[in-house]
Amino acid sequence: MTTVLVANRGEIALRVLRTCRELGFGTVAVHSTSDAGSAAVRYADRAVCIGPGPAKRSYNHIPSVIEAARMTGADMIHPGYGFLSENPDFAEVCAAEGITFVGPPAPVMERLGDKAVARAMMVDAGLPLLPGSTEAVDDVDEACALAETIGYPVIIKASAGGGGRGMTVVRNGETFHDDFRRTRATATAVFGDGRVYVERYLDSARHVEIQVLCDAHGHGVHLGARDCSVQRRHQKLVEETPAPGLSDETVREMGEAAVRGVLAAGYTGAGTVEFLLDDQHRFYFMEVNCRLQVEHPVTEMVTGLDLVAEQLRIAAGEPLGFSQEDVAPRGAAIECRINAEDPARDFAPTPAVVERFTPPGGPFVRVDTHVGAGYRIPPDYDSLLAKVLVWAPDRAGAIARMDRALEELELTGERLVTTAEFLRTVLADPEFAAGKHDTALLDRMARTRTTL
Amino acid sequence: MTATVETTDLHAVLAALRENAVALAVSGTQPPTRIRVEAAGVVVELGWGAAAPAPVTAAADPAPVPVTAAAPVAAVAPTNGSSAPAPPPGHRLTAPTVGVFYRAPEPGAPPFVAVGDHVQPGQQVGIVEAMKLMIPVEADRGGPVLELLCGDGESVEFGQPLMVLG
Repeated sequence: MTTVLVANRGEIALRVLRTCRELGFGTVAVHSTSDAGSAAVRYADRAVCIGPGPAKRSYNHIPSVIEAARMTGADMIHPGYGFLSENPDFAEVCAAEGITFVGPPAPVMERLGDKAVARAMMVDAGLPLLPGSTEAVDDVDEACALAETIGYPVIIKASAGGGGRGMTVVRNGETFHDDFRRTRATATAVFGDGRVYVERYLDSARHVEIQVLCDAHGHGVHLGARDCSVQRRHQKLVEETPAPGLSDETVREMGEAAVRGVLAAGYTGAGTVEFLLDDQHRFYFMEVNCRLQVEHPVTEMVTGLDLVAEQLRIAAGEPLGFSQEDVAPRGAAIECRINAEDPARDFAPTPAVVERFTPPGGPFVRVDTHVGAGYRIPPDYDSLLAKVLVWAPDRAGAIARMDRALEELELTGERLVTTAEFLRTVLADPEFAAGKHDTALLDRMARTRTTL
Repeated sequence: MTATVETTDLHAVLAALRENAVALAVSGTQPPTRIRVEAAGVVVELGWGAAAPAPVTAAADPAPVPVTAAAPVAAVAPTNGSSAPAPPPGHRLTAPTVGVFYRAPEPGAPPFVAVGDHVQPGQQVGIVEAMKLMIPVEADRGGPVLELLCGDGESVEFGQPLMVLG
């Protein structure tokens, strides 16, 4: 029997374990001392404590995760998102230990994880890119000259960056030198890699990404577009599919470009190709995420596919069981991230104890969560408590249903503030309701609130 | 937790607390800088370092706080008044990482320690191997080895008790 170890925590660990259970696989959860007794720990057939609270010594500690797999006889490791999910060293160690890593091969992950290298690869594959450097620039004068050629505003990004960190928008040449040095210093401190690159910055852009699936036999399909433009500090809060207002033609072009790009890179498994869209709906390659995304369920709800099951089949070497023509997304799906964060205090985390929790229910509502009444939010990890998802035949219906679901959601505790109420104001925003918003929406809403 | 504690039980608790506090106080290489003893809720708490008073004489021991005295605060878990069973005696030394526990430095070699041996704080008492990495297990306090809880070559989780020290 196949046994899958889930090297993650929180809602995603539970979500992956559930599919493993449906497929009849044995399950192993690993956990830190902070997560002893968590929902995933209780759900799995076996659980192994791999270290103390700080992720560096538990969820990110490769020897401990591998030992847990060896100890429990796990054949596969699903890394979820975050932690070791995009760590090529981890994928390599898994391969060396004879454990199947659920994700792309280590060398592919390494190349695509380096944003400067990924850009160069996608140029070769014929994908459109924003004007900018096709490789990392080390020299500040060279970078500044490049910025002048590109035209301001530009964005300086860490090659090894991710999660919205290690990037700086530069409005004019006066601050470029300082911004460049600071971004490099941040990149060195946060990612241990000071290389950066420069590209044109779009002030009003939409963030639209394509979900892809590739098997190990050279076949790839795209599963539609997700719009993730509702962001604060480059962190997504609301995601939806299809991307509102985008023509089928544009989505098809983006999908084909995405599949072409990842197949050229030798990609296997589930992946996401992120694009920026300007106001003319011209799309530009941004990066490839070599993992299952937080927002993958919106794609599942319109396609009827279980992306984790697809990942596990692909990892086991099976060919894709369907072709592009078989992919027929239906209706609209929205996800809202319920975080333990206070929108009134610039989304500061609010670690607390959950006293009351009643998830929303009713037709076409899905809640992915690891939380229950009495749950103590550990300070060691991210602030995601629950993902509330809805499906409806069209976008207006989905927005109404989401508003109803968030109204039903009860998630309270002393000093606990979540994003739920704030997200209802986003849903009610005329720009969002019209599907005409871009990544600047939350900043604009914040400004409106302060001026009122 | 029961609302009241019988006087005789209170005396017993206090005696146990005293005993534990003294045992802990002498276990370190330095005198503790902080002692807290509580009664009905049952707490013994000793601290080393941090709030240490300035040495009175220039000849004071300059040795740093031993890193192997892992937990700066040792505490006895609260018991439920007179109705709860007494906490098992001794101190549990736990695994520093998930991995395979070895009692000896190499196969066939005599074990680091056996029941009845007296160990010093910081003394190596075993190995946990995680992916060919040999992580030494060191006694986090001095005292006799009362019981071995884990066999040679057994898989252990992080924090799993390996042996009981007196």
